[in-house]
Order: sequence, then C-alpha cells, then structure tokens
Amino acid sequence: MAVNKRIPARNRRGRVGLAWALGLVACFLLVVPVAMAAKYDVVAPGGSHDGEDVKQPIEFPHDIHVKDNDINCMYCHSYARRSNVAGIPPTSKCMGCHKMVATDKPRIKQLTEYWENKESPPWKKVNDLPDFVYFTHEIHLKTLLFDREIPVEDVKEVCALCHGDVENMTVAKKVKPLNMGWCVGCHIENKELGAPGDCWKCHK
Amino acid sequence: MSLDNILNHWSDYRKAAEDGGFYDPEGNHPYEHRWTMSIDLDLCNGCNACSTACYAENNLAFVGKERFEKGHAMNWMRIERYWDDQEKDYPERGASFLPMMCQQCGSATCEPVCPVAATYHTPDGLNAQVYNRCIGSRYCSNNCPYRVRYFNFYSYYDDAWPEPMQQQLNPDITVRDKGVMEKCTFCVQRIRSAKEKAKMENREVRDGDVVPACAQACPTSAIVFGDTLDENSAISKLWKKHQVRRNVTKQHKENPELRGYRIFEELNVDPSVMYLERVREEV
Repeated sequence: MAVNKRIPARNRRGRVGLAWALGLVACFLLVVPVAMAAKYDVVAPGGSHDGEDVKQPIEFPHDIHVKDNDINCMYCHSYARRSNVAGIPPTSKCMGCHKMVATDKPRIKQLTEYWENKESPPWKKVNDLPDFVYFTHEIHLKTLLFDREIPVEDVKEVCALCHGDVENMTVAKKVKPLNMGWCVGCHIENKELGAPGDCWKCHK
Repeated sequence: MSLDNILNHWSDYRKAAEDGGFYDPEGNHPYEHRWTMSIDLDLCNGCNACSTACYAENNLAFVGKERFEKGHAMNWMRIERYWDDQEKDYPERGASFLPMMCQQCGSATCEPVCPVAATYHTPDGLNAQVYNRCIGSRYCSNNCPYRVRYFNFYSYYDDAWPEPMQQQLNPDITVRDKGVMEKCTFCVQRIRSAKEKAKMENREVRDGDVVPACAQACPTSAIVFGDTLDENSAISKLWKKHQVRRNVTKQHKENPELRGYRIFEELNVDPSVMYLERVREEV
C-alpha cells in the first residue's frame, strides 16, 4: 500500500508513465488492486474472500453480458447511483433484450417461462451486509466515479473494488470480505477523498 | 478502566471543549456540525406526541406494564411532570411538563467511562452509541446525571412487536438486542440522510434539512432543532436571543427575564439542549 502515490484522476493522462511505474512495482508486490489504484487515485481495499457458491434460479452469466457484450453494470443495476442498494433489474428489463436475443438458449427459455407466468426469478443476494450496517451505493459512486470525472464506461473498475472481477464470473460470488476491518481500511487509506471515519456513518 | 485513565480522558475532553472542538485519540478536532435543540416549556402541553413519534421512529420496544413499573421503559423521549409548591394550591392549573431526552453533552460524563469506547463523541457534536460495540457494563447509565440511557434487560423484540407489527419497524435503525445500552440519537438516521442528500446535490446541509421525529410531531412546535455552527439557523438565533452560551457552568444574562436555561449545566457537562422556562402568573 505504501508504494502508492495518489495521482489525481484528472491529471492521469499527463502522468501515465509514473502510474505505470507504480503499477509495475505494485504488481511485483503482488498487490494487483494497487495497480488500478494508481490509475484511479483510489487505494483499493486489500484482502480477498472465498465466498460460497450461491445457487441462483437461473445460472446468470455475468461474463457474457459484461465482457462479450460490453453492457454497463449500471444498465441492469440501475439503482446503484440513485439509492442505497444497487438493485436487481426487473424481469421486464431482461425481456427487453431477450424477447429477441438468444431465445433458443435453455437459460433464456427458463427466463421466458418466468416472464410468461408473470413471476420474477427468485434471485438470491450475494453481497449482503448485516442489518446493523448502513451502506449506500449512491455516495460511493458519486465520490469514486462521477466526482473524479471517470468515464462511465469504466464503472466496472470502480465496482470491482468491492465486488471483485465480476466480468469473469458467471454467477456472481462474494470475493471480498465486506467486513468492518476491510471497510475501515479503505476509508483510512482514502481519507483525502472524504471517506468518513466516524463509527455512526455506518453503524446504525 | 483505571481512575487515572478516566481522569486523563476527562481532562482531554475539557481541553478539547474549551478549544471549541471535540477530543478523539488523534488530538482535538473542530466540529463539523453542532446539532442543538431548544424546547419551549411554555408551549409544551405534555401531550406525549414527541414520545410516541420517538417510539415509532427509533424502534423502541414496548416493554409492557410490569416492566414499565420496574423502570425498564425504553422511552428515549420522556415527559416528566412536576408539581411546584405553588401549584399544589392550584391543582386546576395542572402540572409542569418537561420533555427529557439525551442532552448530547459537549463533555459528556457517559463517554470517558465506557470501557470499550462504544459511546464516543462524533464530529457532529453528538454522543454516539454503537450498539455492536456495547458490552452492557452500564457504567455510562450510572454516570449520566439526566438518567436518559436505557438498558435492554431482556430480548424485548421477542414480544414487543407481535405479527404484523414488526412491519412498522424503521429499517434505518437497528433493533437492539439484550444487554445493550441505548439512548436518544437526535435521530441520527435523519441527519445522515440529510447530509447525503446535500452531498448528492453538491451543497451544504441547510437549516431545516434535519428535523428529528419529536420536533416533527410536536403540535405546538415547541421543539426547534438545528446546527448552531450555522450562524443564520433558527436555532442559533434562538440561543443568541436568550443569551445562552455553551461551555459555561453559569449563564450571565443582561436581562434576567430571558427564559433560556440548560439543565444541570453547573455540572460542567455542556448540554446541547436549551429549555425555555414556563411562564406563569404570580398568585
């Protein structure tokens, strides 16, 4: 973590060399998130977690949507920048594309069945926080994405800070600990971005 | 926690308060906000609407008659009744009412005695209570001169909200478990959401953005709430008008007719709530 010198996102074009150098050093230290941090002026939270495989009603392939079709995270998780929770899209949003797209695939047939029965697939929450924690996506996205004038197309790199490499997952899996020490660590590192250190910000 | 530790904490507290800030282990910090309240006792008619609103807003458990009699009631906002000597002769004039809740003291006696730092001072000038951290030593409650801290002696949630009443619980605040101390928070969840709304709109928090449940419910608008660091807020003007100052143990007023006072300020706890005395005709 110590190697990372924060480079303001706006100036990053002029200092790509330094960012790369820092990134390389970071890679040698096997702290891959720091490499991204150098690019984005955020010290990424360290640590990983091996969450259990959550069985979803339909095996939703994130990789096809994000990597192959380049759909923005916030297209489906549209509440992320507007409210506390990122939200699961309504089935109508899925059907917006899948009335036409890939209708012959078994998973889409399963989805169409739900749609025709006027039911929504009972998706299960993967990244869940305890009830005594207050967390808001809205402010995190404002501070980490919009305020730093990062192109919205790159939002997945901001999401990846806490949700891991969803781009390469099929069904999402919890890969970050999402516990207090982990959150606080990131808040301490990113004090300059205005990350609050007050207990009552998150404990409710 | 040793006596030395408590005394050291206390002197740090006092020093920070005198510097116009608050103490945290890294040093003394200036306040970001200073949430303050004023209650006009002349307007208060003891209707208990504030108390009821508080129950609804903060998921306060209904403990039942038996436990209430033992003093286990969870009324963060309680209406105290007083019968003065003079009024005993004129009972038809009724009792005096005094809404009492956590005074969010500037140098609170509850904070330095907590062995696990579950209660601490926030940059907003509030006495925070972190329920997860609380181990239930009850030192804070015993050290509070106002008796406004409430302890969960039982798992009240078992029977406090029978089906389907659990659906009225406020999701913005935890349902507290057994063995945890709790108290008035000045509706911190409302403060939090007001601040975040302001942040999303790229502005500062304005006067009137935060209204705690009790102030909102008060039918006579006896309760005024706001940030005293904002010079133009209604609450700052009210404090100035009644010449009540912070960080003093005795108010010196040019006009003794001014009604503002703070309860137990002589204990040097610097309460954040100003009461306006009730005016009654002399008999």
